[in-house]
Amino acid sequence: MNEEEYYVPEGTYWPIIGSIGVSTLFVGFANQMHGVEWGASVMALGFAITVFMMFGWFGQVVNESTSGIYNKQVDRSFRWGMSWFIFSEVMFFAAFFGALFYARELSVPWLGGADNNIFTPDLWNSFSASWHQMAFMAPGSVTDTALQSGTVLSFPAVPASGIETATPAMVVNPWGLPALNTALLLASGVTLTYAHHALRAGNRNQIVGWLVATIALGAAFLGFQIMEYGHAYQDGLKLTSGIYGSTFYMLTGFHGFHVTVGVIMLTVILYRVQKGHFNADNHFGFEGVAWYWHFVDVVWLGLFIFVYWL
Amino acid sequence: MTTATASHDDHHHGPEKGLMRWVKTTNHKDIGTLYLWFAFSMLLIGGALAMGIRMELLQPGLQLMDPHFFNQLTTMHGLIMVFGAIMPAFVGLGNWLIPMMVGAPDMALPRMNNWSFWILPFAGGILLSTFFMEGGAPAFGWTFYAPLSTTFAPDSTDFFIFAVHLLGFSSIMGAINIIATVLNMRAPDMKLMDMPLFVWTWLITSFLLIGAMPVLAGAVTMMLTDRNFGTSFFDAAGGGDPVMFQHIFWFFGHPEVYIMILPAFGVVSHIIPTFARKPLFGYSSMVYATASIAFLSYIVWAHHMFLTGMPVAGELYFMYATMLIAVPTGVKVFNWISTMWRGSMTFETPMLWAISFVFLFTIGGFSGLMLGIAPADIQYHDTYFVVAHFHYVLVTGALWSIIAATFYWLPKWTGRMYNEGLAKVHFWWAVISVNVLFFPQHFLGLAGMPRRIPDYSLQFADFNMISSIGGFAFGASFILFTYIIVDCIRNGKPTTSRPWEGAKGLEWTLAPKADYHSFNKPPSRKLIEAESQHS
Amino acid sequence: MTEFVIVLIVIAILVALGFGLIGMVRGGKKGSDKMFKSLVTRVSLSVLLFILVLFSGYMGWIEPNMIMVDAPIAQK
Repeated sequence: MNEEEYYVPEGTYWPIIGSIGVSTLFVGFANQMHGVEWGASVMALGFAITVFMMFGWFGQVVNESTSGIYNKQVDRSFRWGMSWFIFSEVMFFAAFFGALFYARELSVPWLGGADNNIFTPDLWNSFSASWHQMAFMAPGSVTDTALQSGTVLSFPAVPASGIETATPAMVVNPWGLPALNTALLLASGVTLTYAHHALRAGNRNQIVGWLVATIALGAAFLGFQIMEYGHAYQDGLKLTSGIYGSTFYMLTGFHGFHVTVGVIMLTVILYRVQKGHFNADNHFGFEGVAWYWHFVDVVWLGLFIFVYWL
Repeated sequence: MTTATASHDDHHHGPEKGLMRWVKTTNHKDIGTLYLWFAFSMLLIGGALAMGIRMELLQPGLQLMDPHFFNQLTTMHGLIMVFGAIMPAFVGLGNWLIPMMVGAPDMALPRMNNWSFWILPFAGGILLSTFFMEGGAPAFGWTFYAPLSTTFAPDSTDFFIFAVHLLGFSSIMGAINIIATVLNMRAPDMKLMDMPLFVWTWLITSFLLIGAMPVLAGAVTMMLTDRNFGTSFFDAAGGGDPVMFQHIFWFFGHPEVYIMILPAFGVVSHIIPTFARKPLFGYSSMVYATASIAFLSYIVWAHHMFLTGMPVAGELYFMYATMLIAVPTGVKVFNWISTMWRGSMTFETPMLWAISFVFLFTIGGFSGLMLGIAPADIQYHDTYFVVAHFHYVLVTGALWSIIAATFYWLPKWTGRMYNEGLAKVHFWWAVISVNVLFFPQHFLGLAGMPRRIPDYSLQFADFNMISSIGGFAFGASFILFTYIIVDCIRNGKPTTSRPWEGAKGLEWTLAPKADYHSFNKPPSRKLIEAESQHS
Repeated sequence: MTEFVIVLIVIAILVALGFGLIGMVRGGKKGSDKMFKSLVTRVSLSVLLFILVLFSGYMGWIEPNMIMVDAPIAQK
């Protein structure tokens, strides 16, 4: 295609399908949470529409790309788009890391009476602040004297959701599965780098081998992560286990979701490599996914260090 | 390949026919139009809610509605105006104008552009539907502080949360698109420092959006799990902290207020030079001032939280950092005034709106400085003074610039001229009534009237009545506004390609009604230089 | 001290990742080279960091976030 001319795509139905899909998904989800009968099925329908849209839309872009109607400028637009999408992901994780640091360094110590928090002894005299074992106070934990003397009128003993809470008997040991999982994910970063190298050298067989290894490592990570959740749950560490459980599950959970998406994207890339969509000089699809995987990898490293260690 | 080539040729023939044109469109002008009409209808809905609020506050005592419904009105009014009216209106302006201003045929990612619009009606629909749900719409204020929005909120809050998620997707995609357009679709001969101010301010706003909206998504996600899955991010009983919600919210919320005002600065920086017939004074200082404001907006969030029991060191830091914002903002105001200094000024409608923007926005800026003083804020916090402050910056700031931009670029959008006489009547009607509406609220706030309360003490009665009457008059002015716009689209006199004598910018080199695709070939360096905002 | 070094390496990894992103955006041969080199740096640093964390934990320089506290919370 002529480099001098601009490229503008034809009209498209994918966005409206996507809007319908995502809205259906959310409306179904909200109803499901409120115990409405049809919630789950509507949610599943919305999810299916969304997945259909993703495959259709990306498929169309891939087809257009391989048929050669895009020029360098379109390629650069995709690069800009991908990079700022990733930045928005970084900021999304930043919100949860921020919550982790704020709760661990400020709000839990304050509850424990740090910085001359004079209310603590009166409100919760049996309370000692320890980061990983936060759980909801049982109703009796407010001292009777405090209630009787009128310093506390009422106290939200039941959480917003009304779900019963539990105190974990154990917290997750970083020497076991987490260390193994870190090793797996780091190894996947290494294999992906080899795949990248092979791609740049134009060696397709090697790319396929390294990519398969990367996908396998990612899938193994997910498997072990599910195992770890199982262990943690049995030991009483749940989403409802106070702020420790909240931050632990939300951070690792969203990370796990991103790993899942990454594995799917890598699988698509594997398929596209076998179809011969990339060459040594032109492989933005691969680069975008590779960078995404490195990003997910680094997020895990941050989790491993800041959630389990520091 | 053949089908691809055929489709590639399609767009030279102009738009498709029928309704599907608007659903399928990848054209920046179509999408810009959709955004603007969506924003306008949301503005009318949000305005109708505001009329309800002022009706209730016309007289002391509970007059028309129960307090719970009043709370729903204030909450939904804020949410609709911020997320449904102002932000989409600016994205619509950006869509229409940025490709023309940078010499591009369209946005960089046109299909995604379509999606970032078409999410909005769905998100808006979900948000509005909460009014009809059991327990009513969200009633915890547009800032949805925990635990009001977690422990004590109705079920409809979950729908609100998902609506915010969708609005966030839309804004992020819109921002990504604008960044890619400005950085990649700009005419090859246009340097960054040749770009018009509206493009610059939107580019910087996009960075704010991409930095802030995901944090909001995180905040509402935590709310969602707190409400439904038993997490305790914002619940002290589980080791969390309701104040943490405020920190996360305002880390989004403060950049958000600059998201709503930076493009306004850009609009005014176009209109004032045109009607003063002088180049913009201090072009580069405008760019740097915008960037500094954007940077500072990330590090001042807790000035919304002076009364949460922050350590004194925190209060001092956030107070001083907030004061610092006055410096780049002052640079801008002085630049606008210097642009007008000894210019051969005329006062067509866009100029009237722009000048009143400078004047009234500065009032809002000053009351903001007053609120930024931590010890004084103890008195002002959560009073009508705050309401007056942010309505001066958002109504007579952001909305004013949107209306100014509408009149300024309407000839380029429609190829027709609006009725100047009627437009002037509308301007004076609006500018007088808006001051009657909001100025007395300063006095109410200083005297101690709290915001978000449907009833008030008797000593506040007079000012409230004045304010309400101003409110009804201001609301009615939009009937005239609608008429002027529709009249222009249908019966306006055809204009030339450059209807404003002193106007500069690539968009004025296009046909009177800009073609469906703006620049199929990039403009030359000579043209860019001739149309730049430099002196 | 160890914690300081760990955080420093984390920042270095983020910087390398960022340079990789810049390379990706730039595109072409140059950008591709830059991206690849940055990502190699980021992988190497990550492996180094992992080993450092495990070693420091083994030596007791840093303690995992899992020490059991004897005082139980929220006694009935």
